Amino acid sequence: MSDQIKSDKTKISRRTFLGIAGATLGASAIAGNMPPMPAGGPPPMGHPPMGHPPQRNETKVDADSFKEEQLEADVLVIGSGIAGLFAAVKAHDAGAKVVMVSKGRLGSSGLTPFGKGVFSYDKKNPKMQVDEYLAKVAESSIGTNNPVFTRQLLEHSADRVAELKEWGFFDSALCFESFSKPMKERKIPIIERIMMTHLHKEQGRVVGASGFSLDHNTIFNFSAKTVVLCTGSGGFKANGFPLCDLTHDGTIMAYNIGAKVTGKEWNDGHPASAKNSGSSYDNWHGQIEEKPSTTSEDIHHDLGVDLNYTAYTKGGPVSMGPPSDRSNSDNNSGADFPSGPYIPESFRHAGGPPPQQEEATGLSALFAKKKRQGPPNMGGESVGGSTAGMAIHKSEGLVPIDETGLSTIPGLWASGDALGSYMSGGIYTQVGSSMAGSAVQGAIAGEAAAKASKTVTAISIPKEKLTQTRDEILAPLKRETGYSPAWVTQTLQSTMIPNFVLYIKKERMMQAALAYIEELKEHHGPMMMASDRHHLRLAHETMHMIITAEMKLKASMMRTESRCSHYRLDYPGIDTENWQAWINIHKDENGEMTLEKQHFDKWPEFA
Amino acid sequence: MPISEIAGCIGCQTCVQTCPTDVIQFDFDKKKAYIAYPEDCQICHLCRLYCPVDAISITPEKSIPVVVSWR
Repeated sequence: MSDQIKSDKTKISRRTFLGIAGATLGASAIAGNMPPMPAGGPPPMGHPPMGHPPQRNETKVDADSFKEEQLEADVLVIGSGIAGLFAAVKAHDAGAKVVMVSKGRLGSSGLTPFGKGVFSYDKKNPKMQVDEYLAKVAESSIGTNNPVFTRQLLEHSADRVAELKEWGFFDSALCFESFSKPMKERKIPIIERIMMTHLHKEQGRVVGASGFSLDHNTIFNFSAKTVVLCTGSGGFKANGFPLCDLTHDGTIMAYNIGAKVTGKEWNDGHPASAKNSGSSYDNWHGQIEEKPSTTSEDIHHDLGVDLNYTAYTKGGPVSMGPPSDRSNSDNNSGADFPSGPYIPESFRHAGGPPPQQEEATGLSALFAKKKRQGPPNMGGESVGGSTAGMAIHKSEGLVPIDETGLSTIPGLWASGDALGSYMSGGIYTQVGSSMAGSAVQGAIAGEAAAKASKTVTAISIPKEKLTQTRDEILAPLKRETGYSPAWVTQTLQSTMIPNFVLYIKKERMMQAALAYIEELKEHHGPMMMASDRHHLRLAHETMHMIITAEMKLKASMMRTESRCSHYRLDYPGIDTENWQAWINIHKDENGEMTLEKQHFDKWPEFA
Repeated sequence: MPISEIAGCIGCQTCVQTCPTDVIQFDFDKKKAYIAYPEDCQICHLCRLYCPVDAISITPEKSIPVVVSWR
């Protein structure tokens, strides 16, 4: 991979870089040779972002000029990745009037554009029988998976893959055209580049949603009989992984109307290359330009926090390698650390040569095709945290009350990475299952939402609620003084992303980080200002990240054990007596974040 | 710089629509796309790959510091 693509005419100068760096960040976690700061902060108070002097908000757009547009649907699909595509198509085919709305463009938002492996289970000719497969996933995930959703993946993945083939998905590295085919054939309207900020609930069920356009001064209010969230998961806009547009928007919108949310203690442990660690493209080693293909049964125990543990106990440099390479006896720190994250016996690679790493770890494990040559990160030095803020796929999001992905709010479904289905549990078990699982769940949720929409009458959103929504959406544009979303985001990153906060967890450190995050939530978040629609989007995204950070810290403190991708240095063992349970989070009637256990074999009821 | 140059733009706006992080804007007077918010570029190259005339240049360095979990 060359260091640049096409042109180097505008490389940043050292002087510019220092100006930016000195003004913005103080965390020990900054790549490069920045001076370290104390644990978890303090954030660089008093310095504006991007090297500019402090200034009042010079708003370029007039908040009062925003028009409002009303749209109606039986089924509103929010998100335009692979889950959204199937939700929209199947809801339409079940007879519903469907509208899709997306922050980006069809097939070009979230992680879908980068998913190159799609799992397909051949029921007639399986490599593993269903029961054998389910047992192996349960073993790898140490019981944290929900077998109903794991089984669903086996039942439906081949059918979804067949449809993708028919639409031409496997014929191009880019999926806009193949995704457009079924949408155009069905004439399903897509409203693109809308930042959704609110779900609306009336008479105990979801009745619509609101957001604003990134292209013109318009607020969109959608009335809908049912809503399917296909909004993906999210992260803290960390670098080197293409999920900087994902900020858990759907999850937080749903949380704000009372939905239960789960999975916030789990972590996706992707590292990035030490060189050009901010480049998603380079971390993918050209794979972004490859056509997708299918994968088959091959169960792993991947993407946990092993590398983070190695980095914590030994220090860098850290390179990708089999998990069994890590042992306490050879750590050179002199400290007495507990053993690292537990790996079920049959997933250890002890003794023999490294496993077929082209399928086993790293970026390739998330999406990759089989038998890749030169997998990402192998052989080179890594840095951590490229997916900081994201959990293992399908382990976080809305809590389902049934196998269709219906949430605890009547009329509100979620699918794909927006649904806490625990298809794999708290560890990544199957290459290609992220894409396939989203396709399968999207289709099921879309059909269920369409059927449900026939049984209810539309409830209009009260005018006063729309007025309040408008005020909340536009508030950052109206603030003359305050904080820039970029600075608040950088402060959050500095607090959350260090290895010793997010990945190698300890009660005291999480309490310290929580104090920062609560400060951001209560003081700085509400004072974020925006000069244009782009920064208005950043302001809302940043608030979603702040709430997510609070959830992650509180869930991580509550889970007083270690399992899969959740690792506590102060509770390093598995606690089967107390923790055969997931953690669900909701906002109580006083607006307080409330956490509760849900036993692995129980389903919750409507909120 | 991340996305560093758009040269030979034909004004189709595909890159504007395609960028996941809203880095690129369209100048309706000049009828050309321009790089508005390079600090938010995630260097994923979707804009370059979708551009019908290969007008977009990208370098692998972020324009703001990168926060990592260890180094």
